[in-house]
Amino acid sequence: MSDGHSKKTFVVTRFDPDQDAAPRKQSYEVPVHPDWKVLDALNFIKDEVDATLSHRWSCRMAVCGSCGMMVNGEPRLTCKEPLSQYGDTVVVAPLANFPVIRDLVIDADGFMEKLTSVKPWIIRAKELAVEEGPMRQSPAELAEFKQFSMCINCMLCYSACPVVANEPEFLGPAAIALGHRYSLDSRDEGAAERNEVFRGEGTVFSCSFANECTEVCPKHVDPAAAVNQAKLNAVIDWASSLVLPRGGDE
Amino acid sequence: MSRNAHPHAMAPSKPGRTRTAPPQLPDQFPFGGRYLAYTLFDLTGILYVVLGLLALCAVWSLGSGEADWNAVLERNRNLFSVGFHGIALVGLIFVGIRFFGFFPKAQPPHVGPLKPPPKPVILVGLYALWIGVTVCLSIVLAGGVF
Repeated sequence: MSDGHSKKTFVVTRFDPDQDAAPRKQSYEVPVHPDWKVLDALNFIKDEVDATLSHRWSCRMAVCGSCGMMVNGEPRLTCKEPLSQYGDTVVVAPLANFPVIRDLVIDADGFMEKLTSVKPWIIRAKELAVEEGPMRQSPAELAEFKQFSMCINCMLCYSACPVVANEPEFLGPAAIALGHRYSLDSRDEGAAERNEVFRGEGTVFSCSFANECTEVCPKHVDPAAAVNQAKLNAVIDWASSLVLPRGGDE
Repeated sequence: MSRNAHPHAMAPSKPGRTRTAPPQLPDQFPFGGRYLAYTLFDLTGILYVVLGLLALCAVWSLGSGEADWNAVLERNRNLFSVGFHGIALVGLIFVGIRFFGFFPKAQPPHVGPLKPPPKPVILVGLYALWIGVTVCLSIVLAGGVF
């Protein structure tokens, strides 16, 4: 053991679908370096103590969004959380509100389906011909949606959201923020299609503005703002379809 | 992570490739840590339902003669009623401040050609409106106008 190491106890949730009826806790004593993040300790356990531990990670620089877990009850990116900010015992569990495949690995299939349901791509009524050149966008137009495009789909917001916990069909913060990002894009013409989705059951109007998604976002995106802006846009779109000639269509 | 969340929370539409453990609720939900303010915010709805019923009773008594109205006023003077209205006032202020804090960021960058005013202007406007309505209602209820 080199200088600078201290010991911490990691209480990690374990679940083997072939053997365990339900998740259980397992403790590990880990010699930690002062510079370590939570993920480093999990990798140490995997490499040196218990090779059966399963957890997801990839980039180690808070970009890929793979290593989200509950650390001492809070949804966190484990590659971003310095161990020095925790006490002698660190409790690591899989992200709340998600089914658990194994140990710290959650099932993200439902999340992926929600992401695609908001049509997260640029929709054009008519594609530009190549000779017409690129679609231009001013810095001011980019600024309108840029923060929502910083989402890394780490799912921490779903884990913190009390509405997701209570209403499983809720589309959720990241998916709505992603859809809203495209609706705000000056090159996009699909806002009306997305507003149809947003006016459906279990979408923007299920949000009760707890703001927890924004609080836990490691990339400082503001999904709560996106969801509530999308609410207003969906209402305006619906109201204009009632009062404007031809439902507001050009 | 000691309690099950809704067993189908975030479940995919097709069965998974393997058996999964059900989703768990966050440890602190609903009364701990970060969830306390949200839960209190929602619980104040109970206060508004009761206040609404009391207001309906008061309006009903207005149409039932002076004796009924005086009885309503008398009922509102007891300690329980004063205490309840005090709690409701605290709840209303808490909800107002929390809602006003979130309101500016819920405005889209633009609605057609219209852009929302700057956030400080929205906030000042909301508080001015709230205080204005409160003052007007207080004057009316104190008999200052009618």
